[in-house]
Amino acid sequence: MLTAVKGKGRHTSRTMSMRNQLRVCLLSIQYNIMREMINKVTFLTNICFMILNNASFLVQWVILFQLKDEIGGYTLKEIMLLWGLCASSYGLSHILFARVFSLPELIINGKLDAYLVLPKNVLLGVMTSSTNTSAIGDLAYGLIVASLSGFQVKRMLLFLLFTVTGAVMITAFALLLGSLSFWLVRMELFGDQMVNVVISFATYPDGIFKGAVKTLLYFMIPTGMMVYQPVHVMTDFDLKGLLVVIGYAGALSVAAVTVFYRGLRRYSSGNLMGARV
Amino acid sequence: MKVIEVENLSKIFRVKRKEKGMRGSIKAIFKPKMKEIKAVDGVSFTVEEGEMLAFIGPNGAGKSTTIKMLTGILYPDGGNVKVLGIDPTKRRKQLAYEIGTVFGQKEQLWTHLTPYDNFRFFGAIYDIADGEIEKRIEELSDTFVLSDFINTPVRNLSLGQRIRCEIAASLIHKPKVLFLDEPTIGLDPVVKENIRSLIQQMNREFHTTIFLTSHDTGDIEKLCKRVIIVNSGQIVLDDSMAHLKFSDASLEDIIMEIYRSR
Repeated sequence: MLTAVKGKGRHTSRTMSMRNQLRVCLLSIQYNIMREMINKVTFLTNICFMILNNASFLVQWVILFQLKDEIGGYTLKEIMLLWGLCASSYGLSHILFARVFSLPELIINGKLDAYLVLPKNVLLGVMTSSTNTSAIGDLAYGLIVASLSGFQVKRMLLFLLFTVTGAVMITAFALLLGSLSFWLVRMELFGDQMVNVVISFATYPDGIFKGAVKTLLYFMIPTGMMVYQPVHVMTDFDLKGLLVVIGYAGALSVAAVTVFYRGLRRYSSGNLMGARV
Repeated sequence: MKVIEVENLSKIFRVKRKEKGMRGSIKAIFKPKMKEIKAVDGVSFTVEEGEMLAFIGPNGAGKSTTIKMLTGILYPDGGNVKVLGIDPTKRRKQLAYEIGTVFGQKEQLWTHLTPYDNFRFFGAIYDIADGEIEKRIEELSDTFVLSDFINTPVRNLSLGQRIRCEIAASLIHKPKVLFLDEPTIGLDPVVKENIRSLIQQMNREFHTTIFLTSHDTGDIEKLCKRVIIVNSGQIVLDDSMAHLKFSDASLEDIIMEIYRSR
């Protein structure tokens, strides 16, 4: 049909198409960060105060470990790894895919139209359309704390890998719950609460949880595979444990994407006035 | 050549109904009642290449729902749609390379970026090579007279300037069909006239098919040669503008008369 503009997608190979999709995602993330940087003072204050806020919680653990050598099988170094991984995973997810966490609002108010008329992947377009400045503080805090917990190259490489798998899991979990808004109304509150539950549990050692709670943390919500299992692998390397984490992240992502696209068929749009800000 | 083929298209929305007050809210939790609304009810029509068509009707008539099904935003509940021979429900991305959309009530541009940066972004979305996009931006800037504000952030532009940029952005990939959903809403008469001239120019120069919905009879009268009127999800009139304006009455009066009589 149209041949006037060179390089049209339908003529490009699958690799080219994926490369172009990646280019658009990166541009989108870059523009999001540029938007946040319009007010430099707010931008820097948000990041610094998030680091400070996270650090204040670690002080409590330092005090606790002066009273006891071990809590739930964790020493202070492992707690630092736990906190670091939780913060960096949450941070990375909110830097790259912040919009996923407000997906119900987009679905309910018919704000997916702008992404549906573009010749690119809808989900990636939505996911990368917003960022959260303070999440940069979370990511930075996570990396600092992990380094302070005892720097080793192998452990740091594992930490970076688990930051990625953790970010994938929390994003996929939010996507899965957010996509339920295609069927159910007022799901945004439930989704927010569940994500908060994942993060809250992720800041305590898993040794203090037993029975049903532990099962819940490993099978119903992704806390176990997001932080506990990775911390175990980082302190005592186990290839099988590593592969389980990667497999879990993959399986959760596939489930979330499937639910999103099933739901998209039920999308009913809307007539609210709106701007892409 | 037919660029849009719609056959027996329908869309049903299921909305919750609840009795009034707190009691009704509690009852609705345990025994929800749903009501089906036929937003589009068995609509059929075709549009020829290069045609400028007005698709109009009162609020809630099913205009926007139809456009959204033609562009792949919504899935139809029945019927068939082909735009440029492509089924929007099956090959949405492929269709998106061939069509442009402007929703007057919804911005597609990033407001913190300049129109130039926005055009570059849209160029990347439509896989246009770097050298090609520069040439295209220059062309659009000349056609839409954007040079004075092409490097000003969109949030600082007037509504008229913004709409010009929205339309320019939707044309970055030289679409064959342009869907305009109330493109002149909220604009002053001078800017409206300006936008209409640009749309006419685009149709003349690039032979772009225009599918327009608007409540502004000025848009319809000055741009379109054919009018489809929808009401309650059904087509109530499909006629040429010349035939519709045969009497002495104004177009607005004629349209109002049709809206009321159905």
